[in-house]
Amino acid sequence: MKNFFNGLKNYFAEFGTAVAKGDIWTRMSLLILGMGYFGRGQIIKGILVTLVEVAVILFTAMFSAPYLAKLGTLGTVQREEVFDPLTMTKTVNDYDNSLLILLFSVVGLLVLFAFLLIYISNIKRVYEIQKLKENGKHIESFAEEVKALFNERFHITLLTLPSLGVIVFTVVPLLFMICVAFTNYDANHQPPTYLFTWVGLQNFRNLFTNNMTVSFGYAFIRILIWTLIWAVLATFTTYIGGILLAKFINNEHTKGKKVWRALFVITIAIPQFVTLLLINKMFSDNGIINGLANQWGLVSWLKDAGIIASGANGIPFLSQPGWAHVMIVIINIWIGVPYQMLIATGILMNIPNDQLESAKIDGATEFQIFWKITMPYMLFITGPSLITSIVSNINNFNVIYLLTNGYTTPNPTLANSQAKEIDLLVTWLFTLTNDYSNFKMASVIGICVFIVCAAITLIGFTNLIKGDREEDFQ
Amino acid sequence: MKKPVRIVLRHVVLFLLAVFWLIPVIWLVATSFSAHKGMATNSFFPTNWSIDNYAQLFARPDTVCNFPAWFKNSMIIGVACCIISTIFVLMVAYAMSCMRFKARKPLMSFAIILGMFPGVLSMIAVYFVLREIGLTDSMFGLILIYSAGSGMGYLICKGFFDTIPISLRESARLEGASEFTIFTRIVIPLSKPIIVYTVINSFLSPWMDFVMARLMIKSKNPADWTVAIGLFNMLQKTLVSEYFSVFCAGGVIVAIPISILFVIMQKFYVEGITGGAVKG
Repeated sequence: MKNFFNGLKNYFAEFGTAVAKGDIWTRMSLLILGMGYFGRGQIIKGILVTLVEVAVILFTAMFSAPYLAKLGTLGTVQREEVFDPLTMTKTVNDYDNSLLILLFSVVGLLVLFAFLLIYISNIKRVYEIQKLKENGKHIESFAEEVKALFNERFHITLLTLPSLGVIVFTVVPLLFMICVAFTNYDANHQPPTYLFTWVGLQNFRNLFTNNMTVSFGYAFIRILIWTLIWAVLATFTTYIGGILLAKFINNEHTKGKKVWRALFVITIAIPQFVTLLLINKMFSDNGIINGLANQWGLVSWLKDAGIIASGANGIPFLSQPGWAHVMIVIINIWIGVPYQMLIATGILMNIPNDQLESAKIDGATEFQIFWKITMPYMLFITGPSLITSIVSNINNFNVIYLLTNGYTTPNPTLANSQAKEIDLLVTWLFTLTNDYSNFKMASVIGICVFIVCAAITLIGFTNLIKGDREEDFQ
Repeated sequence: MKKPVRIVLRHVVLFLLAVFWLIPVIWLVATSFSAHKGMATNSFFPTNWSIDNYAQLFARPDTVCNFPAWFKNSMIIGVACCIISTIFVLMVAYAMSCMRFKARKPLMSFAIILGMFPGVLSMIAVYFVLREIGLTDSMFGLILIYSAGSGMGYLICKGFFDTIPISLRESARLEGASEFTIFTRIVIPLSKPIIVYTVINSFLSPWMDFVMARLMIKSKNPADWTVAIGLFNMLQKTLVSEYFSVFCAGGVIVAIPISILFVIMQKFYVEGITGGAVKG
């Protein structure tokens, strides 16, 4: 944090000196970006930089300024259609589209922000060249600068396209959705027919409210808790399962290691959505498992024992809370263990053998060796990836969504906020946007997911991987 | 005398585990050869066997199922994404691992923060963006979505590059090689496992993804769908009784090229992950 502020301070301090100590050419670049280069004979670079400036000004003036002007209200003129009976045509008034206003304002502001960064670094660069000139040093020609893009400034060449992709397809959408969290964009305020507008923190207040009409508070707490339990369970069951399976297969007494490994790896090869949908059908109320259980009398036995309701169609594997929770975790073990087994196999092979040997000579049992040597070693190497996999399990959309496709909640309070017992925050978010167009609450939930993930990452990285334990294992 | 019993027991347990893991796979393959189109509920193996499902899949496209078109679409998207993503990932990883510049650390932290926002959140906004550019319902749009952000997945690859000895690069630099030459002539030839890993991963992700595709492709014409959307659609409540075994056949067909990829590349795959994970 301190580094960050120091860096920021230096950044602007350098800009200040450049302006204060710059000569006439440098200062003229404050207005026309290319001037500093023209003054030192770098004509082509000067023209290019000035063209960028002109492009940004044109873009802002012609395209984004009208949207930016309405950013404060997100539009005031609602769409109206007037049907003219004489000409038999519909005329639509010049209406405001809140969605486009917000979206293009975000784009426009980002362009301006990027230009500001270019502007500042440009002045600094021009000042650098001024000093080079004063000291009689060589100033790069345009050809040399282009060449540098493949040598010491190669990173600029490498990073430009990937960053552009991330900005357009990740940063812009995210900023847009974060803004939506502060508006009333929902099913009743859908552009282009209707407008939406800023409502401040109202949606965040709703998320923690629980009364007759709004039950988001009730649903949010339950879903948050299940999301956390799920993330921890899913991560650790597959992790430990994977290590145990890898150890089991790699044992010196196991014959045909490769064949066994391949058998488990086959399950990875089938696309996840196919297996998930298939398992969903297998365990559905009238699926094959229930059909077989019925044949073998298992269903009626369970009914007699009072474990399932007497009116039920079959065993409610994926259709009743409780049952569904357990099943989801078990099915996730099925999906995750082979993959973890592959990773663990690679790492286990690298455990220093002398440690294991000496432990054996000292009379340690297999169990002790596993918990005292193997596990700490694995944890040391895979610790960081454990935290990232907890985070990715919080966002594990596919497993929950595809497995519980068809689940309806028996709880009316949850149903009121379009949630289900087995929902994770992200699947809830998806249902809200996709089925109910409730974008405002979805964005609020998305921000909450981010906060949860950020907190886990921070806590994890500061506590779990404390200190330098590298020596222990070398 | 105790030892042999334990060894036999070990194999029995392993066998039981393998059976547990393979049951859904076996059921998938078995059902795909079933003459009954809906889902069987009374017997694990179909009572009447037939290869009609595969014939229907390839030879008789109808308004629900047009597998050849889906396969072609997914193939094009997969190959295009695979090329773009692999190049992006390698580029970013090289910049972050082998070069030193002011914005390096801030960019890396920024990528981590960005990665913590749930992907589902931005999806709907991506849809709005694409709609404004006019690229929804097109394969080009999907390719853009899948590959544009791929630079963010550079971490494992960077971990692998970190393990390449610095001395190699330094001696090349002393000989007058530019960064570009080092990247293309030294680092890339040394990174076969991680390249294979990235290629497989980025080829597979469009095959596996279904949420994004479903959001972006609203077309009702089956010829515009990808394999994932098409197969998902077959399991709708109104269609499942007619198409369940066809779905299974489709699942098997999709799994075949992927399994072959896996078997061939398994060695690289493990090396790639672990090589990158140790330091990543």
